[in-house]
Amino acid sequence: MSQLQTRFFTDNKKYSVDDVPFSIPAASEVQELSNVINKLLEAKNGSHSQIEFDFLVRGQFLRTSLSNHMEAEGISTEDVVEIEYVERFTAPQPEECMMHDDWISSVEADSEWILTGSYDKTARIWSLEGKAVMTVAGHTDVVKDVAWVRRDGLTSLLLTASLDQTILLWEWNSERNKLKARHCCRGHAGSVDTIATDPTRTKVTGEEEEVEEPPSRPRKKQKTEQLGLTRTPLMTLSGHNEAVSSVLWLDSEEICSASWDHTIRLWDAETGSVKTTLTGSKVFNHISYSPLCRRLASGSTDRHVRLWDPRSKDGSLVLLSLTSHSGWVTAVKWAPSHEHQLVSGSLDNLVKLWDTRSCKTPLYDVSAHEDKVLCVDWTDSRLMLSGGADNKLYTYRYTACETDAGA
Amino acid sequence: MMRLSVSRPEKLYSTPITDIRNTVGNVPMEWYQDYPHIGYNLDGKKIFKPIRNKDELDEFLDKMENPDYWRTVHDKTTASDIRLTDEQVDLVHRLQKGQFGDVNFNEYEPSVDFFTNEVMIHPVTNRPQDKRSFIPSLIEKEKVSKLVHAIKMGWIKPRKPKETTPQYYDLWAKEDPNAILGRHKMHVPAPKMRLPGHEESYNPPPEYLLTEEERLVWEQQDAEDRKLPFLPQKHSCLRAVPAFSRFIHERFERCLDLYLCPRQRKMRVNVNPEDLIPKLPKPKDLQPFPTTMSLVYRGHTSLVRSISASPTGQWLVSGSDDFTVRFWEVNTGRCMKTLEVGGAVKSVAWNPNPAVCLVAVERTVLLLNPSLGDRLVVSSTDQLITAYEPPEEDKEQAVTWALSEGLEHNMGHRLTLTHPKAVKQVVWHGKGDYLSSVMPDNSSNLQVLIHQVSKRRTQNPFRKNKGLVQCVSFHPLRPYFFVATQRYVRVYNLIKQELTKKLMTNCKWISSMAIHPGGDNLICGSYDCRLAWFDLDLSTKPYKMLRHHKKALRGVAYHRNYPLFASGADDGSVIVCHGMVYNDLLQNPLIVPVKVLKGHQITHDLGVLDVTFHPTQPWVFSSGADTTIRLFT
Repeated sequence: MSQLQTRFFTDNKKYSVDDVPFSIPAASEVQELSNVINKLLEAKNGSHSQIEFDFLVRGQFLRTSLSNHMEAEGISTEDVVEIEYVERFTAPQPEECMMHDDWISSVEADSEWILTGSYDKTARIWSLEGKAVMTVAGHTDVVKDVAWVRRDGLTSLLLTASLDQTILLWEWNSERNKLKARHCCRGHAGSVDTIATDPTRTKVTGEEEEVEEPPSRPRKKQKTEQLGLTRTPLMTLSGHNEAVSSVLWLDSEEICSASWDHTIRLWDAETGSVKTTLTGSKVFNHISYSPLCRRLASGSTDRHVRLWDPRSKDGSLVLLSLTSHSGWVTAVKWAPSHEHQLVSGSLDNLVKLWDTRSCKTPLYDVSAHEDKVLCVDWTDSRLMLSGGADNKLYTYRYTACETDAGA
Repeated sequence: MMRLSVSRPEKLYSTPITDIRNTVGNVPMEWYQDYPHIGYNLDGKKIFKPIRNKDELDEFLDKMENPDYWRTVHDKTTASDIRLTDEQVDLVHRLQKGQFGDVNFNEYEPSVDFFTNEVMIHPVTNRPQDKRSFIPSLIEKEKVSKLVHAIKMGWIKPRKPKETTPQYYDLWAKEDPNAILGRHKMHVPAPKMRLPGHEESYNPPPEYLLTEEERLVWEQQDAEDRKLPFLPQKHSCLRAVPAFSRFIHERFERCLDLYLCPRQRKMRVNVNPEDLIPKLPKPKDLQPFPTTMSLVYRGHTSLVRSISASPTGQWLVSGSDDFTVRFWEVNTGRCMKTLEVGGAVKSVAWNPNPAVCLVAVERTVLLLNPSLGDRLVVSSTDQLITAYEPPEEDKEQAVTWALSEGLEHNMGHRLTLTHPKAVKQVVWHGKGDYLSSVMPDNSSNLQVLIHQVSKRRTQNPFRKNKGLVQCVSFHPLRPYFFVATQRYVRVYNLIKQELTKKLMTNCKWISSMAIHPGGDNLICGSYDCRLAWFDLDLSTKPYKMLRHHKKALRGVAYHRNYPLFASGADDGSVIVCHGMVYNDLLQNPLIVPVKVLKGHQITHDLGVLDVTFHPTQPWVFSSGADTTIRLFT
């Protein structure tokens, strides 16, 4: 059996080993390499306990045997191979299952509360432990999207967008558990499918499916905090030819929107003009942006999760395709604290956890749902959430590796 | 010659008598023709010619009378006749025989050798040998050196060894093996004789011997039907084998086989089968088109007869035999609304303009307002319907228009058109004000009705019954109206109110029809598994017939923007084809089948019942007898 000269290194001081080349069987896989590292650590530190590691060869996760991987990547086997190892991301553990009365269309969680929108025309607030706290009823049609605006102590502001063409702004006091509708935002000529709040938590953008006359232009709305019951849009962003499916703020000056007309557009929030257009080949269902790696992830009406660079000028370059789903990708979400990880939900009932360094296979498949997955979210407090057409909202707990957070 | 040789002895012997020898020599005697003399004798005196010359008569008389005429010769030099003596005649005879002239000469004298043939002990001469016989010859040396030099220089080639093998050459080497007149072109090998097997053996294994019954059967069979032309027989040894009685017969048949064998060869046309397939672009280059099943819309409890997508592509309406109409959200598969209509729904059609949906139920046509989408459009649609003011004089109409109220209004019903017969199909005009309904009935002329919603008016455009109407359609741009009966599609001009065209479909029974959004092309699906594409500018016969489906076609559809069309059939499959129509009138439409989409289960021998395209995306919806609607993207 052939041997390979390898050198192991890691950023984590706790698990570092001596910087000397080792001779490793070429056919060894992740488990064997992990055992080697554990042996080395045990020899160095007697009180070391067994830890699972994952291995990166030139920035790509090792998933097959070392020789196969190097052949596929075209790496010379003559030189000393530099292998980085990190602590393995442990499988997310299912924690709570929150039953709804109808399909769950959207979910957004922050560090204390979970907000879900449902097809039964209500939004709900849940505690992280899975206890129903509040039902937000006020819409006359399906709630399509929800968002937290900000929280001042015990008082929170939240938004719900609905098929009845309105966005409602609610004020909720968590101590007294009192809910008050603050504003109703009108202006859309179709169902409002998506809303987004800007990072300073003062403005909000809503999006709709467009059902107007042929030269139809979807619109976006912005709103500042003003008194008065009914609000009209501060600004309308027109340019998409078809329904806008997803919208988000890149930072406080830039808005990004994805549409059924196969484009992702970047808008200047001050002037309302289009800055960049990224053109895809399929309808976009959902996009997500990670400020850590500055990439857009998009789910579209095919099996792929695609990564885009919103700042590229030529506009149409797909950086990477993550392919493993067998149905439309309906929801994508970047990890809030990890620049390589994202989670995606699909019509094939699966939620997949991805690492961009292994684009062929996901890290984990979560097959809790019995029907279509419609929304996913990810909180700072180590919770992943997914909701779908089986009326269930699942939460999963994972252990974040602090070492990876800044890597 | 002979005369000369004769003359000399004559002179010899005649000399002693009278020597009249002429001395002129051997000159031509003609020179003396004109002289009296003929020459000169030894004395130099003239020899005179005889006085009288013999003429022919004298000669003849002489020949007849003179017994010595045969031995008389004429001497020209003296012009006298000489009679030969006996000795002279004898000499002539001897010379003529090739013998010596002298009688006494013996030509066979015994010979005496000068040198004996025996080897003697003494030499004939005692002369010593020359010195040059002992030293090498310089001349020879010179010659040899010249030859050696010539060989060295290559002027003289060494002699080639003669080939000992016999030399042949290929007579047909230059012949083209493919030439028509080639020698063996028409060669047909003689049919091979079957090699003898165990049953021909004189002592066959027992399983080859026929049993008594088999032998009886064999004997009763005709000679042509027999499996074996003889009976296998067992003999104890080769000596006991009798003569083969059928030998002559068998040889004769073999000869017949050889010379009656057909000597004509069938000339096959060698065509590569792939050349016969027309060159079509690869489906990969024709994307986008639907390839995979993405969503299944479940909820109906009976077969889904008809589907229609909203003009924006956000909603889908379906009508089913479970007496309900359902509205679906396209991108999630969510059933947003279910309406009970109290009858099996045969056809649904979404109005191309506002948010009105049209449903045909048994004997009624319902106008529904699904209340999905823009509130403003919904309310303006309601206003449009309620704003109707009845005209002063009420005309007799074929259908009754009724406004829904109360509970039905809340459910979404707006107008009810009660027809006298069961309605099979409803279809909107492109502007959304006119609609047409079909009531197939072979016995009346009331089969197709055109309604105007804003004025609540109904017309019957046809006075005559031209056959069982299957489906109708409005032209997307011009005021034309297409009516498909069982075998023909008729195109009517609505303004001039006349028949423009009659299309022969070559089908037995048309099931469905769709018009290209450009308006110049049309596809027809039929129950005999065919799909016919008509180019209306080209001909009234189909431009192309596609027979891809195994069973009856139920629905056909064109895409509004993409060059795609689809057909659904009872075999449970939807076939998507690329159908590119060019603006250039000289270029024929390009039709390429690109994908077979399977997914529907066949229930009660019914598969796909209706297909329709998404208005903006290259997606196709299909509804089936398995109570589901499927979206292929």
